[in-house]
Amino acid sequence: MGEYIVTIVTLLPLVGAIYLAVIGRGENTTENDLKWTALVFSLATFILSLSLAIRFVPGGGSQFQTDVEWITAFKLGIRYHVGVDGLSLWLVLLTTLLVPLALLSSWNSIHKRQREFLISMLALETGMIGVFVSMDLFLFYLYWEVMLVPMYLLIGIWGGERRIYAAIKFVIYTVVGSLLMLAGIIAIYYAHGQATANYTFDIVKITEDIRGGALSLTPATQSLMFWAFGLAFFIKVPLFPFHTWLPDAHVEAPTAGSVLLAGVLLKMGTYGLMRFNLPFFPDAARQWAPFICFLAVIGIIYGALVAMVQPDLKKLVAYSSVSHLGFVVLGIFSFTDKGMQGALYQMLNHGISTGALFVIVGMIYDRRHTRLIAEFGGLANVMPVYSTLFLIVTLSSIALPLLNGFVGEFLVLIGTYTSTVLPQAKLFASLAALGMILSAVYMLWMYQRVIYGKVTNPANLKLADLNLREKVVLAPMILLIFVMGVYPNLFLARSKQAVQDISAPYNPGAVATPRAGVMNETEEK
Amino acid sequence: MQPNDLGINLHAVLPETIISVVAFIIMMVDAISRNIERRIAGALSLLGLIGAGVAAVTLWKHDGETSYSGMIITDHFRLIFAFVFLIVAFLTVLISMRWVKDEELPVGEYFALLLFATTGMLFMSAANDLVMIFLGLEITSISTYVLCGYRRRDLRSNESAVKYFILGSFSTAFLLFGIAFVYGATYQAGATPVATTNLQIIKERIAAGHLFSPEMLLAGAAMMIVGFGFKVATAPFHVWSPDVYEGAPTPVTAFLSTGSKAAAFASFARVFVLTFAATPLIATAAGPLANLQHAWVNALAVMSILTMTIGNLVAIVQSNIKRMLAYSSIAHAGYALVGMVALDWTSVAFYMLSYVVINLGAFAIIEVIARRGDRHTEIADYQGIGFQSLGLATALSLFLLSLAGIPLTAGFVSKLLVFKAAWAAGSQTNNSLLHWVVIVGVINSAISWYYYLRVVVAMFFAEPATGYVKPRVSRSLVAALVLAILGTLYLGVLPGKVLTTLDAANPQNRTAKR
Repeated sequence: MGEYIVTIVTLLPLVGAIYLAVIGRGENTTENDLKWTALVFSLATFILSLSLAIRFVPGGGSQFQTDVEWITAFKLGIRYHVGVDGLSLWLVLLTTLLVPLALLSSWNSIHKRQREFLISMLALETGMIGVFVSMDLFLFYLYWEVMLVPMYLLIGIWGGERRIYAAIKFVIYTVVGSLLMLAGIIAIYYAHGQATANYTFDIVKITEDIRGGALSLTPATQSLMFWAFGLAFFIKVPLFPFHTWLPDAHVEAPTAGSVLLAGVLLKMGTYGLMRFNLPFFPDAARQWAPFICFLAVIGIIYGALVAMVQPDLKKLVAYSSVSHLGFVVLGIFSFTDKGMQGALYQMLNHGISTGALFVIVGMIYDRRHTRLIAEFGGLANVMPVYSTLFLIVTLSSIALPLLNGFVGEFLVLIGTYTSTVLPQAKLFASLAALGMILSAVYMLWMYQRVIYGKVTNPANLKLADLNLREKVVLAPMILLIFVMGVYPNLFLARSKQAVQDISAPYNPGAVATPRAGVMNETEEK
Repeated sequence: MQPNDLGINLHAVLPETIISVVAFIIMMVDAISRNIERRIAGALSLLGLIGAGVAAVTLWKHDGETSYSGMIITDHFRLIFAFVFLIVAFLTVLISMRWVKDEELPVGEYFALLLFATTGMLFMSAANDLVMIFLGLEITSISTYVLCGYRRRDLRSNESAVKYFILGSFSTAFLLFGIAFVYGATYQAGATPVATTNLQIIKERIAAGHLFSPEMLLAGAAMMIVGFGFKVATAPFHVWSPDVYEGAPTPVTAFLSTGSKAAAFASFARVFVLTFAATPLIATAAGPLANLQHAWVNALAVMSILTMTIGNLVAIVQSNIKRMLAYSSIAHAGYALVGMVALDWTSVAFYMLSYVVINLGAFAIIEVIARRGDRHTEIADYQGIGFQSLGLATALSLFLLSLAGIPLTAGFVSKLLVFKAAWAAGSQTNNSLLHWVVIVGVINSAISWYYYLRVVVAMFFAEPATGYVKPRVSRSLVAALVLAILGTLYLGVLPGKVLTTLDAANPQNRTAKR
């Protein structure tokens, strides 16, 4: 299957979805059969995707590529071009890991339309992987948009009270951004075609031609296109002030939906920034970086402050995402290797930590059908295992050294602080560091109110501790939290070259040897 | 081509002939046997349409031939649009087969009128003369006026027919007035003919600069824009369409909103893209001639912005699904105009092809759910039907999302094509208005998601409405739905073949490549 491995990984979940749609319409198919089928498909996808990570050659550029013609008429030059590079490798794995965990986490919490739920989840997985592996703008846009439908259904059908409002808000926000991106795609496709007489949507080619100088855009054009693309990504990230869809969507979505929304969908925004905005529009990126970093820092602090006063656990986690993703954006727009490596790392961290947080909140919600912090207290007495795991995830989220969050945030801060391209870099870094302190405040305070003290609410007295399934869901995440915190180089080595390619045009003077630095610093911790 | 040479060529009008003969047969059988069996009438119509399609295929290699004193032209433009009309008629017949019985309406006249309307449309795309366009338009219009009021005892149907008739005639008058102006503008002393409505000669005279008065041509073009604007329902000439679409019986609405619109676009493109703007001279000319093209491109650009925006914004607040789709079809006329503005008729043709397939599919489902007398056409009637009629609801969702322009379906590829064409044209002619048209277009697409999703929300997310009984779906309707779904996906996933054909059919592209 060699060169088709990426295609197989992308489409296998979809095959599973179609299989689920057609099989066992009869009486003797139980819900359990369906759940197991979906789980098997998602696990198979994960195992296949592991081979990507194992066979991936660090610094080898885009690998496992498939590149065939699709639509050539009208000078469209649309190709089916997929591949994996240092930027997308870990995001693909994050996706394939989180989907089975999300399925497991909501094993018993979906009570209606089980089959359709599983179909949506698997279809969503195909969409998410597709976004990361597409090397053609047309294909990228296709997955980006199609993925909306299953997510929309997940929120709209299996969501909470205000699910319809949340679902529509989510879609409209995303669509406004993505259609502007479509205009941007057409514009860059045409500009590239005019400059090089090669009309193509191929991301790799366009990136090369921009780097090589075959296509140079005026700063004014760059600015327009930068925002046409950027708005779609900033909404998805979400960058302050485009974040208002996020708390609604997160809170109303079912647990599995929240996990994927926070774990993967938000990363598409930051991924897009690194894949398109920085390589395509260097002048515009440099010009707008201070403004964007300003918004990112506001997001970090504002998200943290708002998270602090949330009475609802899920909402608290949702606002913490706004804060955490602010770090990622800051790291990206520091234009340094360290900052970007940190941003990429932080994307993975956030996927795992916040995914785990949503799972944990979902577990308590399954038991009590409420997420209000005030309803809880003293859970340590009745659910010791739960409390321990919750603590680890909490600490990971507030970036305790030795846990994954620390590596990412530290790299982002040091990258930003030392950035020579970004004006006022030191100020931004200092303000962002303030956000780290605030995150400790809201997370620990929340943890304290939920877990410590005496059991004040009699309804909590009889709560059962985690069962085996729930432990199995959390175990891989906890494991990764430690592994990524102790041995980051396992991950960073594979993404290093991709990040350097992006940052090189911004640091023309710098000699390309920061790799050793990255290793040293992270190992010192 | 000599004026006294009649140029009779029966082959050239074979598709039109077949369809009108079948229509006559249906009427005759109906008259003789008192009541034609609906299945026979339907089958005859389908056979006639297939025959016309085959006839059109045999004409494919006669590219560029004119006949009947230059009245009819056989080129790929004509044939591509002819296929669009035949598809529209084919699907409409399938949708209506069961419906005419349920409504207890006279069968013979219905199918005959449908076929006559199709004949008119075919003539509209085949016309090489303004008079011929007018004839085709009138054949179509008169048939559809009757069809709109076909449910005789229904007040809404009557209102629809009267409105359509009055406003339709009004717009035809504008078109005629425009034709007269154009005729006058082409006056050239001593030439044969002295003045003309023949599009090829008009094109030649514009190219050579032999115009009696460019200003007069400009005035004529403006009048014709008004006339065509009515027919395709572009803002500000769109006000008739929601009332007409809502009141007309659903299959007729489906036919009107797709076939009539596509036919009007065919003539529109024939006159403006292939005649007024076809010569390279006009783009480089100075003075009134250059203004001519500039003026109408800009006018159409503004019209397209207005049409998209008004159509989409008003669609948001509709509570009746037919009315919502009426506004949505106004918006889609706006998107197709984007392709016109770019002077790229192939993208308009593809847009129309996709649009008719998707829209007919959507209307087919609306017809089933509406039941006798179009009673259930409120969006509220769709509440919670999603999991009760999963197949219908999923198909309707597909069509609506495709109209919104989701990738992997025809709706996306067609939007991409017109936007791309307009962007390229804007860059080439340094006309930033065209870039704005694209930007407004994408913003409008985003708006349109809202109202299309409202139906999906109602179907899948809301609690089931009481009293919903699963409708019985006839076999012919299933056939129509399957065709529409396959078409939507085929044009969305593998549009390569159709696009290549279109690409090769466009002489502008051919010269540009070499």
